[in-house]
Amino acid sequence: MSKDNILVGLEIGTSKVCVVVGESRPDGSVKVLGVGQAPSRGVRKGEIVDFETASKCVHDALVDAEEKSDVMIRSVYVGITGSHIGSFNNRGSVTVAEDQEGIEDKDFEQVRTNAREVSIPSQNAFIHSVLQHYYVDGQDGVLNPIGMMGGKLEADFHIVHGITTRIKNTIRCVKEIPLEVEDVVFNPLAAAQVVLTQDQKNLGALMIDMGGGVTDYILYVDGAVKQSGVLGVGGDHITNDISMGLRIPMAKSEKLKIEEGSVILGNSLPGDVIMLKDECGFAGKEIEREKLNTIIHLRVRETLELLKRTLDEENYLDFVGSGIFITGGCSLLKGIDHLAEELFGMPVHVTHAQTMSGLTSAFENPQFSTGIGLIKYAQALQSDRPGRWPRWLRLPFFGNR
Amino acid sequence: MIEINRLSAASAGLDMKIKIIGIGGAGSNILDRLVLDGIGDVDIVAMNTDVQSLTSSVARDKVQLGRNTTRGLGAGGDPEIGLAAADEAVEEIRQILEGASILFLCVGLGGGTGSGSAALIAGLAKEHGALTVVFATLPFGFEGRRRARQAEDALAALQEAADVVVCFENDKMGEAVPPKAGIHQAFANADQTIGQSVKAICGLVRRSGLIHLGFDDLSTALRNNNTRCLFGFGEGEGDNRAHEALAIALRNPLMDRGRMLADASNVLVNVCGGQDMTLNEVQILMEELGRHIGDQTQILFGAAVDPKMTNRMSLTIISSVPAAETDASRAIPRDSSALPALREPPAPASDTADSAQEREAGEELGQTSLVMETPPPEAAQTEPPAVRPKGGSKVPPAPVPAAGPPPPKAPVERQETLLFEPVTRGRFEKSEPTIIDGEDLDVPTFLRRHIKVK
Repeated sequence: MSKDNILVGLEIGTSKVCVVVGESRPDGSVKVLGVGQAPSRGVRKGEIVDFETASKCVHDALVDAEEKSDVMIRSVYVGITGSHIGSFNNRGSVTVAEDQEGIEDKDFEQVRTNAREVSIPSQNAFIHSVLQHYYVDGQDGVLNPIGMMGGKLEADFHIVHGITTRIKNTIRCVKEIPLEVEDVVFNPLAAAQVVLTQDQKNLGALMIDMGGGVTDYILYVDGAVKQSGVLGVGGDHITNDISMGLRIPMAKSEKLKIEEGSVILGNSLPGDVIMLKDECGFAGKEIEREKLNTIIHLRVRETLELLKRTLDEENYLDFVGSGIFITGGCSLLKGIDHLAEELFGMPVHVTHAQTMSGLTSAFENPQFSTGIGLIKYAQALQSDRPGRWPRWLRLPFFGNR
Repeated sequence: MIEINRLSAASAGLDMKIKIIGIGGAGSNILDRLVLDGIGDVDIVAMNTDVQSLTSSVARDKVQLGRNTTRGLGAGGDPEIGLAAADEAVEEIRQILEGASILFLCVGLGGGTGSGSAALIAGLAKEHGALTVVFATLPFGFEGRRRARQAEDALAALQEAADVVVCFENDKMGEAVPPKAGIHQAFANADQTIGQSVKAICGLVRRSGLIHLGFDDLSTALRNNNTRCLFGFGEGEGDNRAHEALAIALRNPLMDRGRMLADASNVLVNVCGGQDMTLNEVQILMEELGRHIGDQTQILFGAAVDPKMTNRMSLTIISSVPAAETDASRAIPRDSSALPALREPPAPASDTADSAQEREAGEELGQTSLVMETPPPEAAQTEPPAVRPKGGSKVPPAPVPAAGPPPPKAPVERQETLLFEPVTRGRFEKSEPTIIDGEDLDVPTFLRRHIKVK
């Protein structure tokens, strides 16, 4: 097995660090060889706040993955998130030289550079510029302009940017292991590779990845990314709310949320209580189910409402034809799909990585969507690399900028 | 006896007649800003070739330059015309200068009026024996190379003619503006920064502090030909005021987060606080600042106690670095007579936006000047004898100019203190808050919505 075929995705999440090892196959599919994970500490809201602890967790997850997949890991694709990440759409345009035979690669690079000539805060750096559409002399719907004749090449890009130092922190954390960082990928972009099919992207789809610390989202219309971003609220917030509202420790709240929690109100009978057994250091407690559900409901509803408000700012939601896909750890909350359906008024699916082979148990868990997405993304990136004209996916290495 | 000395020193300070002259369009914009922020007891004079701009100026005294040369129009970006215009009005200028002992000239270089006439006016002031401090702005990079050259020439002439030249680069000042902010805010920011430094220097030379900094220190800090000014002003409140003040001062675009200070050979630092300012605080602040300053750098330290500054602390940093250090940023230079045209319309809007705070600060400035006559004796006790006092005189202090460059984090903190009930954020207590539409999302939803779950 040649080394090139091995792809490793690393997601340093708020609740867990996960390392997915995959094998890229000549037919374009990816086989998951193993998934290593370790509970994460030192990460808050998707960003590293305690460097040493986080490094240790990454190391643990890595060792776990190496054992399970029997592969030496040297380089990884790292997923990043955090509420500092922002995005917007911009169009770049370039005039093709008159004596030139058709549009060339360099024109395309020029267009990409042009599209980036917008002001972002000075401490920010570009993470991705994802191609949306080409226009040649104003003609829409050009799939590949290379070799076409035309005087003016334009291209729409979806540009993702974030605060440089925070992104570098993540990279440094990985480099200390030591591991090579192949590329940095914005989490929802990676997750969407495996959660959404090309058909769904073409029809228009919204993917919401509710993780431990943050909620990432990405919206596709006509197969192109139109909107993406991060909301700094996640499962941790729900747990925190429960802990504060019911006055029980965080660990108990987390367990309660996973085992008993639901976002649906009015489903439990009055007097329906959950017994928390007493144990050393914790006097047992009876908890009314409705109370627990109210706390969860309020938080999840608010989060989804905020998300909708953000998405409504740009009116792309109307073009979403295939519905909403919720993934990430929080998607396991009972009834979250019904609540989202009620709020967004369109079909909602709780989903996970789809287009994979190998370890079934791994990709059927929505918690691993991003990790698996990272290797799929990496594969798409690599198949583009050897001199071929990039598909819409091609993205530059973050460090270049 | 010491008391008497102090009083005489204080009144000597008051006797100094200070005049602030704004030349050209950019100059009068700075005057407008100064008046808006409140500058206290000084004479403000506007000089311009353009009658239209002159009439809209808030200055009490106005001098029209080049009545015959330009007939009330601008100098058209030509320094030659600017010079001729000023030549024509020499007598009027002399009258204005009469009796002034310190003169502040505010001028935007690169255009016609400012570039042409500033050096001449500075020369006239010298003839009158007035100390001359020039605040000059260099044009934005996008204003073109020619303007930049004109500005450079004018700056060289000014450095010959004036005692001290404080030079600002518009490009640098524009950097502090958020990328989405309008152009008017870039200009307003530049004016604000200059306004702050005018006030700071004005306060510095006019008043004596516990450890006094005088005109001599100022000119040391700004010595060397062809230099760019580094200026930072910050004010902090509460327990952490020393850090806050320093952080805000260093956030000033002209400071480049303190990186520029490493290259400076002389740094003037003036600390001003209420009577509760402790020696320890000053030490902490200076230690922290010391990390940004090179080993060879001379620190000109001044301290002042102002009863009005209770619970607060302000810090002024003034220095200069050779122009070469900043060359990169002014490789494509700019002009300034285009400034007035660009500036005038948006000025009022931007002023209302950010001047409320400053006006407050301005009032303080006025108040402090009153207090000066009765210097608080306790101040001497609260103030550390360990910091070597230069003169026996002590009185309220130096600069109490406007709040530093808009501190982006401030609203966040205020939001929290405004809530009526104690808010708890649980495990997110120490993490960066997630604030959307003014709501702190780390606080449980049911608490924010006041929904009872108990």
